[in-house]
Amino acid sequence: MKILVGVKRVVDYNVRIQVNPDGSGVATNGVKMSMNPFDEIAVEEALRLKEAGKAEEVIAVTIGPKASQEQLRTALAMGADRAIHVETDEEIQPLTGARILKALTDKESPKIVMLGKQAIDDDNNQTAQMLAALSNWPQATFASKVEVEGDVANVTREVDAGLETLAVDLPAVISADLRLNEPRYVKLPDIMKAKRKPIETVTLADLAVEQAAAVKVLKTSAPAQREAGIKVESVDELVAALKEKGLI
Amino acid sequence: MPEYKAPQRDMMFVLDEIVNVAELAELPGFEDATPDIVQGVIDEAAKIIENTIAPLNESGDEEGCSFDNGVVIPPKGFKEAYQLYAESGWTGLDKSIDFGGQGLPYTLATAVSEMLSGGNDAFSLYPGLTNGAYEALLEHGDEALQQRYLEKLTTGEWTGTMCLTEPQAGSDLSQVRTKAVDNGDGSYAIEGTKIFITAGEHDFTDNIIHLVLARLPDAPAGVKGISLFVVPKFLINSDGSLGERNPAICASIEHKMGINASCTCVMSFENAAGYLVGNLNEGLRYMFTMMNSARLMVGLQGMGVAERATQGAIEYAKERKQGKAINGGTMIVDHPDVRRMIMTMKALTEGCRMVAYDTAKQFDLSKVHPDEAVRVAAGKQVDLMIPICKAFATDVGCEVASLGVQVLGGAGYIRESGMEQHMRDAKIFCIYEGTNGIQSLDLVGRKMKMGLPQNFINTMQEQLDAESENSDLAFITEPMKMALDLLSVTTEWMVEAAQEDPQNPAAAAVEYMTMYSLVVHGHYWIKAAKAALAKQDDDFYKGKLVTAKFFAARVLPRVYGLGGGIMSGAESVMASEIDWL
Amino acid sequence: MSKVLIIAEHDGANLNGSTARAVTCAQGIGADSVDVAVFASDGSAVAGQVAALSGVSTVLQIDNAANEQAVAAILAPQVQALASDYSHVLVPSTTFGKDLAPRVAALLGVPQISDIMRVESATVFDRPIYAGNAVTTVEAPAGIVVGTVRTASFSAADAGGSATVEKREVSAELPSHTRFVKLETSGGGDRPDLQAAAKVVSGGRGVGSEENFKVIYDFADKLGAGVGASRAAVDAGFIPNDHQVGQTGKIIAPELYIAFGISGAIQHLAGIKDAGTIVAVNKDPDAPIFEVADFGLVADLFEVIPELEKALG
Repeated sequence: MKILVGVKRVVDYNVRIQVNPDGSGVATNGVKMSMNPFDEIAVEEALRLKEAGKAEEVIAVTIGPKASQEQLRTALAMGADRAIHVETDEEIQPLTGARILKALTDKESPKIVMLGKQAIDDDNNQTAQMLAALSNWPQATFASKVEVEGDVANVTREVDAGLETLAVDLPAVISADLRLNEPRYVKLPDIMKAKRKPIETVTLADLAVEQAAAVKVLKTSAPAQREAGIKVESVDELVAALKEKGLI
Repeated sequence: MPEYKAPQRDMMFVLDEIVNVAELAELPGFEDATPDIVQGVIDEAAKIIENTIAPLNESGDEEGCSFDNGVVIPPKGFKEAYQLYAESGWTGLDKSIDFGGQGLPYTLATAVSEMLSGGNDAFSLYPGLTNGAYEALLEHGDEALQQRYLEKLTTGEWTGTMCLTEPQAGSDLSQVRTKAVDNGDGSYAIEGTKIFITAGEHDFTDNIIHLVLARLPDAPAGVKGISLFVVPKFLINSDGSLGERNPAICASIEHKMGINASCTCVMSFENAAGYLVGNLNEGLRYMFTMMNSARLMVGLQGMGVAERATQGAIEYAKERKQGKAINGGTMIVDHPDVRRMIMTMKALTEGCRMVAYDTAKQFDLSKVHPDEAVRVAAGKQVDLMIPICKAFATDVGCEVASLGVQVLGGAGYIRESGMEQHMRDAKIFCIYEGTNGIQSLDLVGRKMKMGLPQNFINTMQEQLDAESENSDLAFITEPMKMALDLLSVTTEWMVEAAQEDPQNPAAAAVEYMTMYSLVVHGHYWIKAAKAALAKQDDDFYKGKLVTAKFFAARVLPRVYGLGGGIMSGAESVMASEIDWL
Repeated sequence: MSKVLIIAEHDGANLNGSTARAVTCAQGIGADSVDVAVFASDGSAVAGQVAALSGVSTVLQIDNAANEQAVAAILAPQVQALASDYSHVLVPSTTFGKDLAPRVAALLGVPQISDIMRVESATVFDRPIYAGNAVTTVEAPAGIVVGTVRTASFSAADAGGSATVEKREVSAELPSHTRFVKLETSGGGDRPDLQAAAKVVSGGRGVGSEENFKVIYDFADKLGAGVGASRAAVDAGFIPNDHQVGQTGKIIAPELYIAFGISGAIQHLAGIKDAGTIVAVNKDPDAPIFEVADFGLVADLFEVIPELEKALG
């Protein structure tokens, strides 16, 4: 079986982002870009399924500008077999992203589409669920454990109440949460080998996907800051202060 | 304790815009070193170093190495980190494809070395010394030795050491006494004691390959009678499997000022089996062929520690509230003196990076460029720059590490801050692999006789001439003109004063090396400023430009003090009777 | 004219507090009506609790054995069937809502707005991006607006309502491809739910071990507080992941938040910045948590907690 795994190029999680003072967005000029960390976990899980003999092929997909190929190369260096680059300079929101992935799943017929639960730039947490809806496939979001037996995946999910397990018939969409695994370090020889692995480039037109109605961003601003309060010297002082505010 | 983050943005700036690393991919053998691979290598090396090796820097220092009856126990986590690093293929980055390496340019290995040193300078020595052993065997070993050792040294399954120093033979290796006696079976019996052997004993790998300088009983005295032997910790059977333990024993480890996580061993060779590398009595010459890369690596350690100290100081200075600054700010970074220190740290560290990476590129050119004239010119450039890459960069390491402590004030003096470790670690870089004094003597002696410093003064002059009309760069080209004039005058003085009294250049060698290095840094800062001027819509380049301005205004003028001292001659240095000291 | 449909979050017996916060958000839209749908196998009890929230117009009780557990793939087509009567479908931005809302939106063919933190108009909202380091103001296109409501940004609707409860049949084809297997809770007992609790006591790496966390639990029980933790404490295995507070865990807004031994990584602070009062106890005077704490105490938590317990009697 095939696993299709989505990777997104985002501002590196270490970068302290700066909001443009004119409200036009976030400064990304020259900022370090990386694979979305949740997607890295998704790639890792797909590779582990392959290594465990549950899948034959792992295909990495990205949607974005030319430079997104860097993230595909990373996925290939991690061990993905081949990659598809849906090249576009347009902004792609989750619904359109899901349509694109739907078009690719129609073409590739994977049994599992593995995505990160959210991208750390827009923090939407939508694409996996939307893809599942468009395909009428099961979705197992926020996965912390994935076990595949035949045509069923038992997925443990990190939910607010604890750990929930769903059994989903394949094909299914699974979205990776933080504790699903710890992604491997890429090996240097694999970086070199990745250079020789194929990346297929397609456009939205090739896939006959049109942009869905989109949410319009009117402005971007810096969040309100919480001010530091006071330091108290003793427990008594703390208790007095909390009592005064009626909190205890 | 701040985390180390590889300065990837600046590294890529230097690789792309100062060194033009893309050119290397056009050279035979380096076809794979395309920009995407360069980016991938830097990204992934940064990831593994930041996450697995750098976090052991402080704990490694705290714990140090312990020793028990011939067994060395490096600090916790080092073995696993080393094995992951080696299994991930990083030890083979620039090593030959013939032996399982990736054959990538040395320039790229240099960038990775910087990260390794910056992340954990003590750790960097374990794979670092292996490079020396690998190179010695690659350049001078016969095919049998190469087949036996090079693959495992490439993959990092074995590590290597360089056993040169003896108690009486430090900077003067002509004093080496370790004996080698021909066993008549192709091997030699090696007997003697070596000291200061980095990574001489550990449990990271199944075998350790020592390269040992020793002397046959009938060898000529002095430097002409020293041979090089390879002495494995475990003998290797003909099928490649490990055989008997060879009596190359760690007798003790040193208790040091810094780099505590690196074990510095006293090695006792008790008639251990050794195998001759190359020809008899040419050992010292062989050593010198790999001196350049070893010295460049030590320079990277100085730069690495400077980078780490700079990061720590900046992070602290931005967050530490103290007093009200003249500009109204409340963080210590707002105070001009703290800012001066931080700008100094940045300017020196970033300058060292430009010089080191560009020298590494010359190294690559000297090895693989198809045109012999280019190879020769590049080799000369490497020879000239080595003292600058080693001595100046390691002096910078000490200066910047010291400033780092100063920026943190009292907190910096406390171990927990992590800053004092940098100071303790940094000092050895000025000492080993040829002290900075010896590096400087090499510059003012042999290299000046070859005309190397003089030639590069001309190159620097050409740059200034070419940019003389560029008024945007005048802030640095004008001060550089004056500095370069002074350097020319001083260089002439050095040559002439040497005729008069050889003590003149010797007494001024370190100052001259420093002065020369500052002007070389200026040469590179002009390149950086030029690149930055074109991209002033990006904060990184804005930062680069103001750092170039700071360098021109506040660092470069150090040459005036140095020039005056140098040209006052050796007399004031040597006038004292020894009894008066 | 806005008509809002909210999907209630509950465990079959009790309404989750996040729903009442979504009701407040809906009121901010200036809706003509705010209906709340309760999907359950028998939603009577929960529907009753919803009806008591002020501001709710009608409670739709959709009883179906398939709704025994909240499975997004099963709920989404039912929500889709109801949605045509509404201008807005809102769900709390909990794991329940985040799982469900995008699926509903995709079925409706509309985009979805995640983590609404402020309502400017019926179609314009603020939402956080980059882990809360920036806020975007976004406008939904024409069509039904589907959104998740960042619960920490809205107070809970008061009790005191008396909405009518209507039982509804929803005709939608429900998939059988997704089956609930089990839910393992970490056994909080009677301790209040982290996201609904008025008071939360949290521990970080400074607590030191799983055993030491007992001190935190005991103190929380004494205070009637929920128990939270930093990612560092969860990663170190001191406490199960569902206690994690922060960007990748739960975003909470209790009236009182007390952090013991938490340094205050930016991801953690993102999860508590809407708290009413933040108290931080940490040995390290430079811990970033003090930058946001209303009351900071530089001290050893193991000395402070017994003293606090004594002072509280």
